[in-house]
This record gives sequence, structure tokens and C-alpha cells, in this order.
Amino acid sequence: MSTTKGAPDGASGPAARAAITPATGLDARLVERWIAEVDRRLRAAESHLTELDAAIGDADHGTNMTRGARAAVAAVADTVGAEGSGGESRQAGPTTPTTAARLVMAIGHSLSRSIGGASGPLYGTWFSALGRVLPETDAATPLELATALRAALDAVQQLGAAEVGDKTMVDALAPASRQAHEVASSGADLAGMLRIAAGAAEDGAIATIPLRARRGRASYLGARSEGHQDPGATSAAILLDALRTAAGA
Amino acid sequence: MIQSVDRAVAVLLELQGARRLRLTELASRLSLPNSTVHGIVATLVARGMVEQDLSGRYALGPGVLRLSNVYLDSNELRLRALTWTEALAERSGCAVRVGVPLERDIVVIHHVFRPDGSHQMREIGIDIPAHGTALGKAVLAFDPTRAQRLFAVAPLPKLTGRTCVDTDDLAAQLERIREDGIATASDEAILGEAEVAAPIFDANDTVIGAVGVVLPTSDAPTDRTVSDEVRRTAVSISRELGATAWPPRSTQREPTET
Repeated sequence: MSTTKGAPDGASGPAARAAITPATGLDARLVERWIAEVDRRLRAAESHLTELDAAIGDADHGTNMTRGARAAVAAVADTVGAEGSGGESRQAGPTTPTTAARLVMAIGHSLSRSIGGASGPLYGTWFSALGRVLPETDAATPLELATALRAALDAVQQLGAAEVGDKTMVDALAPASRQAHEVASSGADLAGMLRIAAGAAEDGAIATIPLRARRGRASYLGARSEGHQDPGATSAAILLDALRTAAGA
Repeated sequence: MIQSVDRAVAVLLELQGARRLRLTELASRLSLPNSTVHGIVATLVARGMVEQDLSGRYALGPGVLRLSNVYLDSNELRLRALTWTEALAERSGCAVRVGVPLERDIVVIHHVFRPDGSHQMREIGIDIPAHGTALGKAVLAFDPTRAQRLFAVAPLPKLTGRTCVDTDDLAAQLERIREDGIATASDEAILGEAEVAAPIFDANDTVIGAVGVVLPTSDAPTDRTVSDEVRRTAVSISRELGATAWPPRSTQREPTET
């Protein structure tokens, strides 16, 4: 899993700079590209997310998520600035480049603080759990990433007490995590796995439309929440599709 | 209980929950013969409480809105709370809600938006399981019979991973609430939302509801400013309703004179 990675774990110095070809594992540089793509995609989707949330919430999901993405980009830049991402061509880099795991944890902490409402703790928890389970060695294999995705889903479900069908982000994250793990277990490469995961998340988000919300503020609406796509499931699908794009899949 | 009246109410509640139902769906949910349900529904349609859409499905009718508006406009607690809750929202910068107990829930009967001009969901009419909200805990603390009935039918639902559903823990919380009249909740009904609430008493010194603020969990108060404001509001509303002390002497050793 080190073909596109500049250097093996802990190495420093004049690592060969890899071209942005399809990634084969989740390394620090892919996390940097991922969060930049998340930022771009959420800004493009801000008004759409706000509209979805206006139907069944406080109409603040779009602005909350873009604020979170900005903070996450800054957190990644800070961490890379302090530790290096292992992709620098510069000679005098820090001695220990950061890892995907540490960057993803930093994203989690920044999201917890910066996104308001329920999404802050939920996405903060998702990224933090993802980072905790990713291997400290760059880069994570598809199966290691899939395992971390499942752990991140578990943490979100623990916090939110939501099951599939409750019309929450779990409706996007659960099928994505399950299908990613299935295909990774049977040997899929990163690109193939992320295509499957992103597709499952998107399908899951769309499948929330007829559901009645059973968790969160939208559940206050009872039957009136039916017929609207869940904003949290939608932003979760955007996150996973941004990872697919960033990985060149 | 008059059976036909009870059944008519059951029909209305089914329609509230499901929005639109066919006669056969209604009948099976109520475990009654189609003919019985048809008679009830036809009567409710004739009185405007239920209406039938083009596809033949039944839904609540405009008569229900007339009833609920009159409930809101004539509810003594809500009327007394109007100015006090407005002032509480102004001073605290938080959204304010007044709720009353209904079965195992708290029904929100008044909601003042957070005074920042943002888009907010109107919460009048929503119900929240009582154990998951500070409004409910404030009521339960001073209504031990209701608390016992609630705790007797376990398990209590989890609204988030942080909803307290352990009846011993809840009982200990209610004990603390009885001491200072302030109930709190954090991420228990909705992740990211914290509440501070206090009970409201009527002229019989019976708890009839609660008033509370809602704020982001990240801004949850660390000092007593907000809880003092909430307590003052609950005392003022209770005094207007004729309560003689807050909390009443029967539940507290050294009550504040209202």
C-alpha cells in the first residue's frame, strides 16, 4: 500500500513526490485532498442543504457544514504545517510526517467545536472514531479504512441512538460502511471500494425521502417530516463522495 | 368511559399520527370492524373534524384547528406566560418554551423564538417524552405520582445516546431538582441542545407545567445567571396563577415566598 505514497512510515527527507494518480490507500495526502474536496463540495451544496433543512429543521445545516469544513481545512493545514504530510519535496521537513489517522482526528476535533447543532458532535465523533481506528502507519489499506468506517458508524450510533430508517445520517453512513467492508473483504482496491461506498451513501440519502424522522429535531414534526430528504444523510453522502473524488476514483 | 367517545378520540389520534389513512387501515389499527369505524368517521366528517381526500383517504379536518387554536388562546398557563417568556427570551438570548404534561410526554404549548432573527422551527404542539427534557423533569420532580407511573412502565425510550433512561438515576435527578427547583438536560432530547427549566404551580400549589430555555450545548451556562432568570420567570408565572409559594411548602422545606 505504498505505491503512491512518498515515503514509508516515519521516513523523511527527499521523498519522491507521487503524482496524483488514483490512490491505493488512505494516507495523509489523500486526507488533505479529501478535506479540500469536502470544503469545495459543501460550499457548492450550501443552499441546497439549507433548503432541505428549512423543510424539517432550523435551516442552518448548510451554513453549519460550510463553517465546519473551513475549520477542518484549517485544522489539517495546521497539523500538516506542524508535522508535514510526508508528501513534501522540501528537504528540511519535520522529522515525523503526520499520518492520515492524526489528520482525521484533528478534523474530528475541529468539527466538534465549529459545527453547531447536532451535526457538530455527530460529525466530530465520526471523524474522531475514524481517526482512532485507522492505523498509525500511513497508509491505511482499503480493508483498514472500511474497518474504521464501521467503527465510526458505531460511535455515531452510540451517540445519537439512531438506527437505519430513523431518517438521519446513519441512513447514508450505514449502507456505505457495510458495503465498503464487504467489497474490501473480497479484495476490492481503494477506488472500487470508495465508488461502492459513495454510491451506497447517495442511495441511502435518497431513500430517506419517504421516511418519518425518529431522531433529532425533525422528529418533532412527526408525519410532516415525510417527503423530505434528510439534510444529515445528504451531507454524509457528500463527505463520502468527496473522498471518492479525492482518491481519483 | 363512554365507548363511542373514546373510539372517536382514538380515530382522531390515529389520523394525527399517520396523517392519511383508508377506512380499512383505520379499522385494523383500532382492531374494530370496518362498519363500526365507518360510522364514527362519517360522524366526524359531518362535524368537520375529519375530511376525506379525493383518493378516499381520511385526514384531520379544519375543525381540529379551530379547537386547537381555542385551546392555545384560552389556556390560562399560556396566557399568563406570554409576557414573562418574552422577557426571558430577551434577557437570556435563548429560545423559551412552556410545556404541560400529557400522559408520558410534555406537550409544548408556547414557544418564543431565540431573539436573533434566524429561521427557527415552530415547536408549539410538539411532544417530547417527559424524561428526555428538562421541562418534563421539572414537572416530574413535583408530581411523584406521575413519575412513579412513568417509571413503572420501562423501558423508557432513548431519544439520543445521552437520554437518561435509568429510573434510579432519574429518581436521583428529580430529588436534586426538588431542592432548588431547577431542572437541566444536555443533549438528551436533541444532540447539541441543552435546557434549563423550572416548574410552574397553580393556585392549588399543584405543578401544571414548566418553563425553560433552550440553548446550544456548547454554550450551556456555567454560572447561575440563566437558571436564576428561569427560576424568576417560573415564580412570576406561578404567582399570576395564584400559587402561594414556589416551590410549594408541601414539597420543599424552605420555599421562596411568591
